[in-house]
Amino acid sequence: MEAVDGWWDDYFWGSMIVLQVFFFSLILMVIFGLIGAAAKLSDNVVAQKIAGAYTIIFRGTPEILVILLLYFGSAITLTAIVQIFSPDTKFVDVPPLWAGTIAIALIVGSYATETFRGAFLGVKEGSIEAARALGMSDLQTFIYVRIPEMWRLALPPFGNHMLSLIKDTALISIIGLNETFFVAKQAIGTTGEPFTMYIVVGGIYLAFSSIVTLSVMGMEKFGARTGEGAR
Amino acid sequence: MTDTLIKMQNVDKFFGDFQALKNINLEVKRGERIVICGPSGSGKSTLIRCINRLEKHNNGHIFIAGKELTDQVKDIDAVRREVGMVFQSFNLFPHMTIVKNLMLAQRLVRKIKKPEAHKTAMHFLERVKIAEQADKYPVQLSGGQQQRVAIARALCMKPEIILFDEPTSALDPEMINEVLEVMTDLAKEGMTMICVTHEMGFARSVADRIIFMDEGEIVEEAVPEEFFDNPKNERTKQFLSQILTH
Repeated sequence: MEAVDGWWDDYFWGSMIVLQVFFFSLILMVIFGLIGAAAKLSDNVVAQKIAGAYTIIFRGTPEILVILLLYFGSAITLTAIVQIFSPDTKFVDVPPLWAGTIAIALIVGSYATETFRGAFLGVKEGSIEAARALGMSDLQTFIYVRIPEMWRLALPPFGNHMLSLIKDTALISIIGLNETFFVAKQAIGTTGEPFTMYIVVGGIYLAFSSIVTLSVMGMEKFGARTGEGAR
Repeated sequence: MTDTLIKMQNVDKFFGDFQALKNINLEVKRGERIVICGPSGSGKSTLIRCINRLEKHNNGHIFIAGKELTDQVKDIDAVRREVGMVFQSFNLFPHMTIVKNLMLAQRLVRKIKKPEAHKTAMHFLERVKIAEQADKYPVQLSGGQQQRVAIARALCMKPEIILFDEPTSALDPEMINEVLEVMTDLAKEGMTMICVTHEMGFARSVADRIIFMDEGEIVEEAVPEEFFDNPKNERTKQFLSQILTH
């Protein structure tokens, strides 16, 4: 393992980038998923169709392709726009961190759309009627009844989505994000020790995913305090 | 102070092409106890669900305490504050403890402060004899207990009227009485009640009037003795013979 010695700090900063991408893509993923679920459940046919196309496209294409297309697509567009003002410009891109974060949030968000949709449909109609009969407004019913009952149903699959996010950060190295996978490739170039370098990456991801799994287990336990357990 | 709490005039209700309510006219006075019965699909539940606007009537007028029920959200909310409802399947909020089930709407709708709402909740839990279960979750209670909690939850809102939509038909036989006892107590205290039920013993002892519905119409309306001993309509006779013989 002494081959890794000079690389720990690079791995550390790579890990920080993994965390950063995870954090922001998690927020975006929840937003995309909720919007997608709301659109699919709405009465608006256009919104339904758009959300349908979204889930078909992003669930039906390889993740690495989405990242590449989003990165180069945005770069080409951005370059074209900048060239209008300064024709000498050769290439402008969205920083890989952000292009990658948005790409994996969109991908996992398309799965979360289905999860949230199913969970909203799983909320018992009776609870909602009871809330209305008690005089609660639609917004109050949504916040105090629909959301808390929905999230318990959504939690187990949602834990899987969080694991996908963590693991997908590795894919972003392909557009030049210097996260742990990218660090490993560089280290292999100088040390010629691929197995050791990749094992370190594996260890880092395993540590992250274990934390995610444990926190989801904690949340599920909290959600099951009502005694209903998994349904 | 008007004495008529509910007034339905020529009310029709359609589900698509199906007419669930046909020209319903009904008046309920303060303190009256009404039992509605009839075969399944006759429109009993639809009728009471129109009173608190869980279903929207298509024609006619509905007045609650002199106020007409229109599309205005304000009117609907005002009516729902006066009208409590107890459902067949209890419909407690599964993610909240019993006492929180009773406090939620008090706080959100009536804007009552937490300690006050808690006091009211405990008071009504005492009344339905279930205060010791306050910190449990609904699923930990039996069906009969859950239904008593649901009645307490409705009472916490201090409604003028309580609607019961087949409150005992999802219960195991041995739990029916504990719920009927609570309802009988309420009736004795002068609560205005409209109750869809097949519990004919309860109807006979508690109701001021019994309404028989069939195919979306009010077919017969009578005081209990007359209704059971001397029904006028053929359909009523047939219905009674079916449910009283078994």
